[in-house]
Amino acid sequence: MAFSSMAFLFGFLPLALLCYFLIPARLRGGRNAVLLLFSLAFYCWGGVRLLPVLLCSCVLNWAAALLAAPGRKHRRAALVSALVLDLGMLGYFKYTGFLLDNLNALGLDAAVPAVVLPAGISFFTFQAIAYLADVYRGTVPAECSLPRLTLFMAFFPQLLQGPILRWGEFAPALADRRETAADAAGGAVRFCFGLAKKVLLADALGRIADGAFAAGGRLTVALAWLGAIAYTLQLYFDFSGYTDMALGLGRVFGFRLPENFNYPYVAKSAAEFWRRWHMTLSFWFRDYVYIPLGGNRCAKGRQIVNLLAVWLLTGLWHGAAWNFVLWGLYYAALLMGERFLWGRTLDRLPNPLRHLYALVLITVGWVLFRSAGLGQAGEMVSAMFGFAPGGLWSGEAEYYLRQFRWELLAAIPAALPVKNWLRAGLTAKQEQGSRSAALTLALGPKVLAFGLLGLSAVRLLSSTFRSFLYFQF
Amino acid sequence: MLKYLNRAFLACMLAALLAVPAGVALWSHQETSAYYENRALAERPALTWAGLWDGSFGADFESWYSDHIPGRTTLLKADTRVQMDVLKRPVVNEIVVTEDVLLPFMDYEEQSPEEYAQQAADIAEDLQKLNAHIEAGGGSFYYVGFPEQRVYCGGWYPAFLAGHAAEYETADAAFAGALTERGVRFLDMGAVYDGLGHPAAYYPAVDHHYNYYGAYAAYRAILDALAADGWELPVLTEDDIDLVELPNPYIGSRNRKLYNLWPNTDKAVIGVQRDPVAFTRTDNGQPSEKPLFVTPAADDLPTTYNLYMGGDFAETVLETNRPDLPDVLIFGDSFTNALETLLYASFDETRILDLRHYDEMSLRDYIAAYRPDLVLCIQNDTFYYTTTGNGAVWED
Repeated sequence: MAFSSMAFLFGFLPLALLCYFLIPARLRGGRNAVLLLFSLAFYCWGGVRLLPVLLCSCVLNWAAALLAAPGRKHRRAALVSALVLDLGMLGYFKYTGFLLDNLNALGLDAAVPAVVLPAGISFFTFQAIAYLADVYRGTVPAECSLPRLTLFMAFFPQLLQGPILRWGEFAPALADRRETAADAAGGAVRFCFGLAKKVLLADALGRIADGAFAAGGRLTVALAWLGAIAYTLQLYFDFSGYTDMALGLGRVFGFRLPENFNYPYVAKSAAEFWRRWHMTLSFWFRDYVYIPLGGNRCAKGRQIVNLLAVWLLTGLWHGAAWNFVLWGLYYAALLMGERFLWGRTLDRLPNPLRHLYALVLITVGWVLFRSAGLGQAGEMVSAMFGFAPGGLWSGEAEYYLRQFRWELLAAIPAALPVKNWLRAGLTAKQEQGSRSAALTLALGPKVLAFGLLGLSAVRLLSSTFRSFLYFQF
Repeated sequence: MLKYLNRAFLACMLAALLAVPAGVALWSHQETSAYYENRALAERPALTWAGLWDGSFGADFESWYSDHIPGRTTLLKADTRVQMDVLKRPVVNEIVVTEDVLLPFMDYEEQSPEEYAQQAADIAEDLQKLNAHIEAGGGSFYYVGFPEQRVYCGGWYPAFLAGHAAEYETADAAFAGALTERGVRFLDMGAVYDGLGHPAAYYPAVDHHYNYYGAYAAYRAILDALAADGWELPVLTEDDIDLVELPNPYIGSRNRKLYNLWPNTDKAVIGVQRDPVAFTRTDNGQPSEKPLFVTPAADDLPTTYNLYMGGDFAETVLETNRPDLPDVLIFGDSFTNALETLLYASFDETRILDLRHYDEMSLRDYIAAYRPDLVLCIQNDTFYYTTTGNGAVWED
């Protein structure tokens, strides 16, 4: 079920809130049970056939963690077996088609099965691996309660797109959290802002990107750049919007989920970008792949191998296709370049140039990421740098600029920390005794959230507008 | 203070979230169709294990729920107003909004002339077979092609949007050429209108059809062509009919997509015969009292192109009981409707088929059964390359 759907906003969510808050706060187990039931229902909405994989993963990791905890015999074997099964499951559902397609291209004649990818499998599998590793290391205790572990893996606000949780952060809140009106109001405001990012900005910008990436022989330099920039913004508002909704919902239910984004497009280097983009994934790879491989406390050659391994896996985690592999290796090359070659020169450049450097490289990276294959990636990148089949400019580029000018204009401040600047300014005035600043701080976000919820709902409705010239009753 | 503010905010938010399902529960059964979208609203899906298993229940539920949100039409209408008048988007609800005319938004993809030539050849072969079939029964066949409004008014597309004028010209020429090569008589109303100076008055700003002025000019051109081929048919001249503008507001298909919000002064026109040719009418095999023009009961009620003959029917038969005149079969899209109100007056029996809806027998069997003296195919050029519906002329 998508957050940006009528069924979720005006069906599932109010029902979940009612059931949750009708149970007294002292009955923590009851409230957790409501969350678990609603989380499983949320997952089943896309098809009950997806549920067995999630449940199997929960049971497997719950049992494996109990066997892999410090002090247990054969705990290493338990850990390795569970990791093999976790990665095997992820590999089967996500990479079977990709693997067989490539083997077939090499001459094998294997039938490619139609494997249905369980939603969120990359996220819940990574959460499970982190949990197993932490239990094995002894940094967190193994959880005895299967329902509690299932809630950790299936918690509906973050089940489908993260952020990737750590058991050590989540478990204490299961037993001891406090839902307050202030947190709930803050969470609701954040949810509405996230919904607006997704519905009002990302979906509209996505139409520009879809048009540009499908242009083929009509591609012009302007259209290629417009499409690439639109996709760069779409991806940010889509993903960070979802994260805002997840964090907002978590806060309503009393959980503090980890931040996933920190205004990544203000970055001045590729390395800084990855400290600001999908932070929970970056931290996951750092803690469970990069550092165990030796990190950067080893010889330069080994560091390069470690970086390559991490970014190859990062690319593959995002999707089973060669352009994701290329995208991962592209970032490996950029990060190695910044670390070993041009990092010091970059540091000496004026800030605007460093921003420009980072933005151009990030945008090119997203073109690799978005393309349907290596061929299209090549066409788009070469068009961006002057080799476009349609020349410099086209009416199609002008149409997208005119049609979506408001979204493009709104996207720029929305991708910058304008909200933080405003809040800081108002807080400073409030501290000087300004009542209007205090009122704006208290009321402004709530009023805006209401407005954005209404606008988003209308936009969602308008996406259901389907008109027919001829009789369709 | 802040505590109460937070609580009030949460209460309002929860009330808003709960108001929608309450409204759906109370009123969802009241509306079954969306007038401005010209479609039926989604029906509530049945809760089945198969639907739950594969997720189709969730998708269907979302469609039903979205379609039945209370105030949906009002909200969509308000949204359309904002998109059009406040945000000034060039395209709203897939309609290109210009100062003078409404046009459909077309994507930028184009077919090559070679592709058109190949498709035209394939389609013309079927029409050639139909022509031979009609002639074998003693009849004559004419294909009458019209420019659709987006083609006729293509010059109004802003330069940055795809009007496809050159592509349509290529496609229309390829089609006409393919028919002529195979001996099928093709009457190009686009060329006729151009010969008359391409009058703007022949097409409304808000609808994809032509209007009655365009229909009357086409009627005269068709009868002129038939007369040139030796047909002696009575003609409704300007002395025989009065073209009367109806006072009702006219809702065109383009403006309908904009919730009729685009300011529009178009009026529907009808041709009132001074000495009416009497007829009896049958629709889909049933006797019908419908007149040629189905006008609204009051002057302030809106009307649409469906006023001509009352809209599309699978089969309509008009009998004038003048056995000295030939019989005609007309098949085609809704461009036939306005023409039918004129053409019937020149024939004894007028049979009209819309193959998008008629499925009792194939066209060739129908022709064999009724052996009309004249067969007219009337299509607008956006249907030239369609091989279903009225394009399926040689199927069993």
